[in-house]
Amino acid sequence: MRIFVAPFAVRAYVAVAAVGLTTPLVGAFLVQRRLALVGDGIGHLAFAGVALGVAAGVAPVWGALAIAVLGAFTLERLRTAGRVAGDLALALVFYGGLAVGAVVLSAKHRFDASAIGVLFGSVLTASWTDVIVVVVLCVAVAATIVPFYRQLLAVALDEETARAAGLPVDGLNLLTVLLTAFLVVAGMRVVGLLLVAALLVIPVAAGSRLAHSFRDTITWGMTVGVISCIAGLVFALGQGSIAPGGTIVIASLVAFVAAAFAGRRAVRKHPRQAAR
Amino acid sequence: MQLSLSLDGVRFGYGASPVLDGADLAIGAGEFVVLAGHNGSGKSTLLKLCVGLLRPGAGTVRVLGGDPSDATIRRRIGYAPQGLRVVTSIPVSVGEVVTAGLTPTAAMLGRDGDTERSRARAALAAVGMADLAGECLFELSGGQQQRTILARALVADPPLLLLDEPTTGIDQSLRPRLAAELRARADAGATVLAVSHDPDDFHAVLDRILVIADGTIRQLTHEQFHAHFEVP
Repeated sequence: MRIFVAPFAVRAYVAVAAVGLTTPLVGAFLVQRRLALVGDGIGHLAFAGVALGVAAGVAPVWGALAIAVLGAFTLERLRTAGRVAGDLALALVFYGGLAVGAVVLSAKHRFDASAIGVLFGSVLTASWTDVIVVVVLCVAVAATIVPFYRQLLAVALDEETARAAGLPVDGLNLLTVLLTAFLVVAGMRVVGLLLVAALLVIPVAAGSRLAHSFRDTITWGMTVGVISCIAGLVFALGQGSIAPGGTIVIASLVAFVAAAFAGRRAVRKHPRQAAR
Repeated sequence: MQLSLSLDGVRFGYGASPVLDGADLAIGAGEFVVLAGHNGSGKSTLLKLCVGLLRPGAGTVRVLGGDPSDATIRRRIGYAPQGLRVVTSIPVSVGEVVTAGLTPTAAMLGRDGDTERSRARAALAAVGMADLAGECLFELSGGQQQRTILARALVADPPLLLLDEPTTGIDQSLRPRLAAELRARADAGATVLAVSHDPDDFHAVLDRILVIADGTIRQLTHEQFHAHFEVP
């Protein structure tokens, strides 16, 4: 029972629920546009931000946020300018971010267990201040997505036609990666920078197996996301010595497999499919 | 006659050789024009110049009285590109795709309501898909997907329709219905420019056939088209 009511557990539940609910909101647009690895790239960059924050004497979360936002902006500019291929730009960011983080933290003699916490999550040691930062970031993302949903969807469906129709496509693409940067930093405490991209992608992939529309995919993704986060955290707390970041991602993978199985059964039962 | 679309001495190329080489064109409000030509002759390029996706190397393109680089002008164009360009990672409903055609003219921070859904249903009814708004686009046939893209171009009732091969993949039996729908739009004042390999799809309803060849545009009668310019 303690795993449900202990103060540290309550703080962890609030943080993981916020991240689990919000990541599919942005992840759906990334997956639809085949930019699923953007979250990974920004996560790796944010590690450099944590290190630079430590070096500058500011809280790691602010260093991570500053570099993640700057990296998201740069990544999108490189991609749209066509100067670097999308996968090459991501690879440069992946390795550069991790390398800078490792070098700076080592130089500051801080390449220790706290670095592992940044990479794989440390939600059980989160303070209420940490949780409030996570929730505020998630609420800011959701509050931005809702009014721009139609424009973002039009671009995600067909970028060229959206551009032909006069929508500010470049600005909306930039908004998407900036919101991704916010969620990467929010998820840093929950599942860590190396695993946060999984929450952007896997619940959406699960939802896409169950839905017939983009909106339903997001709804299912949010459901899978929050259930996976809570279930993974409960399992980790029950075991006592397992990292919640790993169990949360594994729970979402289990949900994906279940959704894929359920989705195939649903397709077989769909009258339009049966008629073919 | 008030012009909806005009090209004046337009030159454009994707390299050294020009695709359009001094192309001139004038289409008035309420006209239904079909633009034909061989593969690679520049038909799709011309439409992309008209919606601002490409910029002419020389000459002038005017659309609805303005420059197509102006987003406020482009929001008044119903554009259906060639083929299905909707990416396939996540299921999308037919209604979502069609309603996306209303997004450019909607309030920036607005949300879809009954009015938008009603207009989407009307556009789908116009292409013979009234009951399919809730279906997943990728569970439909190629012809139904093409009609969905056409409905997206129609949904905002734009004063100018630029349609690239709008009947590709659509059953022969349905094509007269679509042609009649486009004619009705033209009779109501909209200008229709449809790129097509086969103007016969629109023979009964079109006003003019234009043919693009060697970088320029010329007008042919239906008989001249078949006698002198058969498109393979």
